[in-house]
Amino acid sequence: MMKSKFLVSTVTYLILACALPSLASARDLMVVGFGGGFQDNARKHLFQGYATEKGVKVTDDVYNGEIAKLYSMVKSGDITFDVIMVEAPEMVRACEDGVLEKLDWSLINKDKFIPGGASTCGAGAVGWGVSLFYDQARTPQGPANYADLWNVQKFPGKRSLRSGAKMTMEIALMADGVPMADVYKVLATPDGQKRAFAKLDELKPHIVWWKSGAQPLQLVGSGEVAYAVGYVGRTIKATEGGAKYPIQWNTLLFSFDYWSVVRNSPNKAEAMKLVNYMTDEKPLMNLAQDWAVSPATASVANNPEVIKKNPGMVASHSKEGLFISTDFWVENGADLEAKFNAWVAK
Amino acid sequence: MMTRRNLLAAALIAPLLLLVLVSFIVPLGATLYRAVEDAEVPSILPQTTALLKQWDGKDLPSEQVYHTLIHELREAQEQQKAGPVLNRLNFEETGLRSLLLQGLRASQQFNGSTKQHLIALNPRWADPHVWDLIKRSTGPWTPLYFLRSVDLKLGPGGVVVPTADEEAVFIKLFIRTFEISVVVTLICAVLAYPIAYTLSILPQVWTNIGIMLVLIPFWTSILVRTTAWFIILQREGPINALLVSLKLVDQPVTMIFTRFAVYLAMVHVLLPFAILPLYSVMRGIKPDYMRAAASLGAPGWRRFLRIYLPLSMPGVAAGALMVFMLSVGFYITPALVGGSGDQMISYFIAFFTNTSVNWGIAAALAALLMGMTGILVAIAWLLVPGFRSGGVRV
Repeated sequence: MMKSKFLVSTVTYLILACALPSLASARDLMVVGFGGGFQDNARKHLFQGYATEKGVKVTDDVYNGEIAKLYSMVKSGDITFDVIMVEAPEMVRACEDGVLEKLDWSLINKDKFIPGGASTCGAGAVGWGVSLFYDQARTPQGPANYADLWNVQKFPGKRSLRSGAKMTMEIALMADGVPMADVYKVLATPDGQKRAFAKLDELKPHIVWWKSGAQPLQLVGSGEVAYAVGYVGRTIKATEGGAKYPIQWNTLLFSFDYWSVVRNSPNKAEAMKLVNYMTDEKPLMNLAQDWAVSPATASVANNPEVIKKNPGMVASHSKEGLFISTDFWVENGADLEAKFNAWVAK
Repeated sequence: MMTRRNLLAAALIAPLLLLVLVSFIVPLGATLYRAVEDAEVPSILPQTTALLKQWDGKDLPSEQVYHTLIHELREAQEQQKAGPVLNRLNFEETGLRSLLLQGLRASQQFNGSTKQHLIALNPRWADPHVWDLIKRSTGPWTPLYFLRSVDLKLGPGGVVVPTADEEAVFIKLFIRTFEISVVVTLICAVLAYPIAYTLSILPQVWTNIGIMLVLIPFWTSILVRTTAWFIILQREGPINALLVSLKLVDQPVTMIFTRFAVYLAMVHVLLPFAILPLYSVMRGIKPDYMRAAASLGAPGWRRFLRIYLPLSMPGVAAGALMVFMLSVGFYITPALVGGSGDQMISYFIAFFTNTSVNWGIAAALAALLMGMTGILVAIAWLLVPGFRSGGVRV
């Protein structure tokens, strides 16, 4: 009796185990982004908007841009993400490396984007930027530019920067007096890279590195660091919540994130349709009511009402800031990130 | 009869062996394999690989080799397969990725000899060393990842040379990893000894309470305990508030993101691993021995040094071994409360696995860490008395 029960349960288990992989393909559509307030609002207007309209289930998750997750997914064949938000140079490299699907422009309207918004594997999502900020409640008069950020005598206390070469190298050169327009010209030369690292050496003992976008706000909010370079959207949201973090627009570095579809996604067609929906005018206009979004969809980005309502749109400050060169980082990203990591470990 | 009993014994051990095989030996083997495997170039550029195997390595290769390389690379790029090859070659020498991409982009306009066009485009194409580097990546095995893990690389002509100073970090990291682990192990041993001793001589009721006080943090997640230290040590945290209010310091002291915080949190997390084996060994030491020594006239310190310490040594060794092995692989705690100069080798294994997608170097670093730890434990096994019994009294 015992034996037959055991046999039955074993066989049932084995059948279930065999059936599981095929069940996996029937999972909900999974969207992955960088989290924060943007994602909370995107969930309401973009993900759930699509879910309601099409009668499908959409779930979402958060990552910190660790693109390697996609590489291991594609390599192992266990694809758990469908649509993913990716920074521009990472999108281009992942596309070359074959971990993102080429977008199907018969399902996505290619003409709605601002210039550069439609790429082989990426549909322009939103503009984002980082800028220098500090808590005026603690420091009434903080650093006004990156040269000031390096002045530890005048502005004592720790500083927080994003852990990685991208943006940090540009900031170091600007702090060393390189004009914004020449940053990538200088950074493309070996001497320029040495100069950036030498400048970073000066500030290294005073830097606390952050990884996820929520950290700079926590670090400044708790007084652990005095000044930080963090995402503009989140800083503005904190300001609306009562914090006194003035944005220094002259320290802006900005770029665009893209929506991409993970290679061999079991929900490929559905994922492409979701990308098309998320870049459509109507849901983005709804999103713009709640969040200072800076979309890559031309009709929303150029809508005077949206621009007026969201003074923090990075697109409105593009003249003051530095556009993070996608071409430069596609070409040099792998080398500089490796060098940066070796440097940071020493 | 004997064979049947043996069979039964084997059958009873079989599930355990299977578990060890599936969860330990197979993944370990796969990791070691990945550290020496070199499959990207031969699988994605098979014709170039075949041609380069015949190349003598002295003069520049023929037009056919140049043409095949560019042709195969372009095909791979159209099928979105070029990435792994480019990354592999760029790890062999920084700059190869850009060189190849530049050639690929320009090759749309080539008519006639690919070789001449490429050399006109970039003089590096006239350097046989470039081809030497590509040939070296044609597998099936490569020493590159292991060499790089100890800050070495292959120079021109296949000679082993040290890497450039700005890239040489791994030896430093290994030293730092072992340094932190040794310090944490010593602190744990020194702190655990009196605690375990006190627990072993208290009345039973108090021992039970004491053991619970050790076990409750032991059962709490590492992440929770580390985050708690983060909150306690921060600039505007309770310790700094106390120090400032007692006027012991004028300015809050920076404690978080320092080596001090790493030691503190790691010792806190690992202390139970040192206390528990020590306690179990000390409980087994009969008070009779000490009494016998006293009756023979030995003073207290002598009784301790000659009788108690040697008898408790297996517990010290077992606890220290446990703490050391666990600290060598620590990742979360230094990542949360340490600064950039306090990260251990696991941090970089995780970085190469998750962020830079270079599983070869991650596997080589992991294998080296395992090997070095194994050697250190073997040395301790041979030299330290009490190590062999591993805390079990024989």
